[in-house]
Amino acid sequence: MDNIEVKVVLASSFIDSQFIFKDLSMHLKNRDILFVTGKNGCGKTTFIKSLCGIHRIESGSILFNKISIYKQNCDLKNNIVYIGHKNSLHNDLTVSENLKYLSEFDSSIYKKNLSQEICKLLDFFNLQKYKNYMVSKISEGNKKKVSLSRLFLTKKKIWLLDEPLSFLDDDTKNLLEELILRNRDFGGITIASTHTNFLHKIKDAIFLDMNT
Amino acid sequence: MIKIFIKKEVNIYFRNLNYIFLPMIFFFLIISVFPLVLGPDKALLSKIIPGIIWITVILTTLLSSNNFFKDDYDNGIIETYLTCDISIELLLFIRILMCWLFTCFPIIFFIPLVSILFSMSFESTLTVFLTLIIGTPILISLGLFGSALTLGVAKNNILTPIIIVPFYIPVLIFSASAIESANSGLPYEMQIYILAALLALILPIMPYLLKYTLHISINS
Repeated sequence: MDNIEVKVVLASSFIDSQFIFKDLSMHLKNRDILFVTGKNGCGKTTFIKSLCGIHRIESGSILFNKISIYKQNCDLKNNIVYIGHKNSLHNDLTVSENLKYLSEFDSSIYKKNLSQEICKLLDFFNLQKYKNYMVSKISEGNKKKVSLSRLFLTKKKIWLLDEPLSFLDDDTKNLLEELILRNRDFGGITIASTHTNFLHKIKDAIFLDMNT
Repeated sequence: MIKIFIKKEVNIYFRNLNYIFLPMIFFFLIISVFPLVLGPDKALLSKIIPGIIWITVILTTLLSSNNFFKDDYDNGIIETYLTCDISIELLLFIRILMCWLFTCFPIIFFIPLVSILFSMSFESTLTVFLTLIIGTPILISLGLFGSALTLGVAKNNILTPIIIVPFYIPVLIFSASAIESANSGLPYEMQIYILAALLALILPIMPYLLKYTLHISINS
């Protein structure tokens, strides 16, 4: 198992001289699961975006395997899957077309048996009957499922999930929990923002309360 | 990978035929307005129609490229581009080409028809055709750059043209000069070569510039 660690040291970010988060620090290693909690607007999304390098923090540092994520030699992108609260799906493509297309953005996915793998994940998420539906025609919950189903295919170790539970029914929440636990068994790190409690099987998660 | 990117772009354009037909309809509507305003003076029309074609093409590309990245931005796809571990420059290059192919190429295809309608000379038609073939990919690239730059700005409909039209001026100058030379029976190869050089300069740089601009727009 490759050793991976994500370290945040006194990270601060602000917009219009108002702090979104201030002097945040944390240290995550293999098999850690972090839930970022807090009220609406407390900076959960910005924090998750900062961890994957989309948003740049104003002070402090974010290190992946002891190298700043903003440095050229940092191989963070080879190790992260980011699923934002928007679904990253093309409305004019079918569910299976979207999954094939999104798979191209992840070099860890083995492309040779991709169609079979997609069939398996559609079964896993109970999406088989929507396979050939345009994404614009399916419900928000199913869109979220399609978006999250990338986690089923990826071999990447660090999962950054922004509000993964929104629109999901209880069964799918359980499936997501299963996937997160599977990632932990493979030595991966999961960081998810949420303001609802869905932890039934995950007992040893770390919590980061953004309100404090 | 390239095949899947192209297939996806083609699927999106063919499932939204308005992306292809609306620029064409807009082009023909604007072109057909000029004889109504200027009167049926054949000599005048055939003299100024190359300029009118160019202005109409500019308006069409401005309208087409204005919201080019908007759907991707709204759906969070740009965030996926920026966090993935593959080179998205190739994807952006394909998008430039596809955008040109489906919005500008159909217009260029109908230039011979426009030349017959407005009694343009063969030399003039050929020059307009050549300048458009070389010039429109530059316009589309710059249009996409403007679109990427103003992604984070609400109500950017006017802002994008204000930013990018000044960059269109070199293309316009050399295209107009080539057409003028052709109409006067002078050699116009130099202007075409300069346009080709501009295209050769902009096309390879643009994907990198777009990636950087998207990053800034998302971050802001």
